[in-house]
Amino acid sequence: MIDLNERYAEKKSFFNRLVVVYVFFGFVFSFFLYQTYSLQVSEYKDYETAAIANKTKEVLVQPVRGIIYDRSGKIIVNNVPTYDLIVKASLIKNIDAFLSDLSPIIELDSNELDYVRENFDLKARYNRELIVKKNLSREEIAKFEVRGYKFPNAFIDVRYSRYNNYPELFSHAVGYVGGVNNDELASILNSQALPQIETIFKYSNGFQIGKTGLESTYDQILRGKFGKKIFEVDARGRFVEEREFIKPTNGENLFTTLDIEAQQVAYDQMGNRRGAVVAIEIDSGSIVSYVSTPSFSTNAISNGISSRAFNALIQDNDKPFFDRASQGRYSPASTIKPAIALFGIENNIIDWDFSMEDPGYFILPEDQRVYRGWRKGGHGNVNLNKAMIVSSNTFFFSLAYKSDINKLIEHLSNFGFGSEVCADCFNPDKALLPTPEWKMNNLNFGWFKGDTVNLGVGQGYLSATPLQLAYYSTVLANKGTSKELSFIHERQDIKNLNIQLNNTDDLDWKRLHQSMIGVIESPIGTAKRLQELKTYTVAAKSGTVELVSTDTKEDYKIIRENEGNRDHAIIIAFGPMPNPKYAVSVVIENGESGGSVAGPVAIAVLNSLVGK
Amino acid sequence: MKKKLTFKNFSIYFDQYLFISITLLSVMGLFFLYSASQGDINTVIKQSIFVGFGLFLMFILSQPDPDFYKIFSSLFIILAVLLMFATMIFGREVNGAKRWLNFGFFTLQTSEIIKIALPIFLASYLYNKPLPISLKHTFITLALICFVFYLVYSQPDLGTGLVVFMAGIYILFLAGLSWKFIFTSFGLIVLSMPFLWNNFLEPFQRQRILTFIDPSSDPFGSSWNITQSKIAIGSGGMSGKGYQEGSQAHLNFLPEAETDFIFAVIAEEFGFIGICVLLSFFFFILLRCIYLAFNARDRFCRLTIGGLSLVFASTLFINLGMVVGIIPVVGMPMPFISKGGSSLLSFYISFGIIISMATHKKLMQK
Repeated sequence: MIDLNERYAEKKSFFNRLVVVYVFFGFVFSFFLYQTYSLQVSEYKDYETAAIANKTKEVLVQPVRGIIYDRSGKIIVNNVPTYDLIVKASLIKNIDAFLSDLSPIIELDSNELDYVRENFDLKARYNRELIVKKNLSREEIAKFEVRGYKFPNAFIDVRYSRYNNYPELFSHAVGYVGGVNNDELASILNSQALPQIETIFKYSNGFQIGKTGLESTYDQILRGKFGKKIFEVDARGRFVEEREFIKPTNGENLFTTLDIEAQQVAYDQMGNRRGAVVAIEIDSGSIVSYVSTPSFSTNAISNGISSRAFNALIQDNDKPFFDRASQGRYSPASTIKPAIALFGIENNIIDWDFSMEDPGYFILPEDQRVYRGWRKGGHGNVNLNKAMIVSSNTFFFSLAYKSDINKLIEHLSNFGFGSEVCADCFNPDKALLPTPEWKMNNLNFGWFKGDTVNLGVGQGYLSATPLQLAYYSTVLANKGTSKELSFIHERQDIKNLNIQLNNTDDLDWKRLHQSMIGVIESPIGTAKRLQELKTYTVAAKSGTVELVSTDTKEDYKIIRENEGNRDHAIIIAFGPMPNPKYAVSVVIENGESGGSVAGPVAIAVLNSLVGK
Repeated sequence: MKKKLTFKNFSIYFDQYLFISITLLSVMGLFFLYSASQGDINTVIKQSIFVGFGLFLMFILSQPDPDFYKIFSSLFIILAVLLMFATMIFGREVNGAKRWLNFGFFTLQTSEIIKIALPIFLASYLYNKPLPISLKHTFITLALICFVFYLVYSQPDLGTGLVVFMAGIYILFLAGLSWKFIFTSFGLIVLSMPFLWNNFLEPFQRQRILTFIDPSSDPFGSSWNITQSKIAIGSGGMSGKGYQEGSQAHLNFLPEAETDFIFAVIAEEFGFIGICVLLSFFFFILLRCIYLAFNARDRFCRLTIGGLSLVFASTLFINLGMVVGIIPVVGMPMPFISKGGSSLLSFYISFGIIISMATHKKLMQK
């Protein structure tokens, strides 16, 4: 036993030590209390925000895309509600097992199966929905409703499909829509000041944006603005309740200047040939017809196509995706002659009375090189009027020879060559208006006089798109004034373009028009076969683009055995004269004759437009 | 005021302060649990049964004379160690840990028993040793503490292991461990830290500690719990969101809301004011324990009261520190509040023993 002193010492020691421990605990507790205080009081706002962010999920609500109309108010592209079978791809472990379970209820054809298998991995990875089958029938819906419990990760819901009523007619003009990619969606959401929310992928499902044509150019107007649903969710992201619903703003409808009937005529006329037709309403500069053939169905592209079908289109030698109207580069050939003629008059090189002998060829004085016309033996004595009607190359070789190249280039650029002529075309090409600098930089050669001579008949390095040719045709028809081309009327930014020609008056323009009328109406005109196809007067200039240079008709017969070597057929036309309302350009690849091959297409389109 | 109610032939030993404050705390616990369990009445009923049984146990265990505990302390610790061995062999494995013995109607977490048995045994071993405790007795005590710690640690249950270890050290310290020994061993421990780190911590424990030091290193892994817990506490603000209005708990963002993280639920729903009120009860209980320790009849009672109350305080502080993110997540319930079986009962048992130690007086005392 311990004695009393020791008992006292022990009690004191115990007391001291217990105090030591509790003082230590006191510190720990103070620190704890401080931490709690800073969490709950000092940093309260931050944590309150974090707690709200935790339980709040925002779901984007898609706007309905605007409808696209033609100029008479007929619907070209609409949104069609369809009942689709949709799966949450990320929740399905084995897609093949899923498809085989599904097959007794909803049958998928091989294209649909391909589409599902190809897209499954991607959709699963990004937690997006995958549309297994579009446009279910009532019977399929009923069948699925009965046995749907077997497929917890699949459901039927309304989705809007972009439906073009004329899927092949407007494939290049109107274009197609497609699924939005992450960058595109991010920038769309940015523009609407919407947060880049974590669930971005999930709710962008089925959202489409314009990829080509007007769908792309006017995408901002057509697509509308996202709405928002704000939900409360639990930790697993499961829906608890709806808090707020901001309705989406649907896209605006687009009233275009396109004319379905003219478009149909142009498309039918082109048949299975490769080429392009562009028709313009002259006063307004509006595009009424815009065709590039061969074409493809925009509905298939917009709403899901199997890669097999897609590859077939991609690998088609005729390149159906290629928009020949605004991207195809063709030498203008003889269709350039009216512009060259105006240059000659403006610069006093020639006048309407000037005439010369056309022996069928032009010899360049510098190197004695021979430039041949299209007709052996030539056209005899030709003045400007006759040179236009018979398309005398010799006359224009000679005229170009006397021209200053730099002035000539500037002159041609006023007619739209080498420049952008359309305010709202999708990705138009400027083609090429060659300059001496261009030749030096690209071909490492100086500019030869022969290059200028070739320019006089629209051959050589010069190229233009059918769209530029249509614009050129409009400028000619309107005597030098025109507007930038456009698919809609109301655009505010349309430029008025006036060409100031010196030494040229209205009479010169009338005589030029008269000579272009002669191309069709004169018995010696290069497009005289078109006379019977119409009931009014049309001004035109045909052209034949030489792809392979040959000296004789016999040589040409040999090279034309290969279709790809045949000349391109080309024509510009406007009418009805004398007050033309519509201008048109037609290019038919390897069509051989501008007058008799491209011509009928141009006349048919004008007929459909003028007839109204 | 502690009381001895004397009837004709027997007395009832009872401390009304502890009894009332613990009962109030338990009832508040049930109230909080109802919210934390998202209104699951079954959970609350089950917990009430444990609380009722616990209070009953506390009362019963207050009755024996401290000598009873002193005499049987060796038996208790042997039993407890045997139960630990039994757990090792017959234990139910949950998530890779063997901590529970299944008795059919009740699964017992055996480390909870040893958490009580060890301090009592050490008190009974050290109460008659002269001051300061000799090196020999120090080493014997430390060896036992380490042995018991190892048993718990190997289950594995680092959290409870640490509490058991601390319980032993508290008794040794309070009993008069020499300061020289304390400073020497403290120096040695600091030096051997890297060795302990490499050899005694499981990779996931190291990860927890690393995550604790730099939470941004692992935003959705181990620190998810802490992040969500902090959001729950912080968003409660000064006065809280209101009973059952805590979105963090009710939308399942908060992990283990009924057990380890129940404090976060309370903080979210009742705010800083609410937790200050709640913690004042704990504060009161601890103060009462200090008072009882000083007035205990002998050294054995003092040591036992001091040791058991420090175990209680340590458990509370580890839980609170973990929930607010000042110490790593170790898995520690909040005494009298968290849902639990064995762990809950162990606190009633501890306080039953504390009351016994405090209320029995030796008549022959000077």
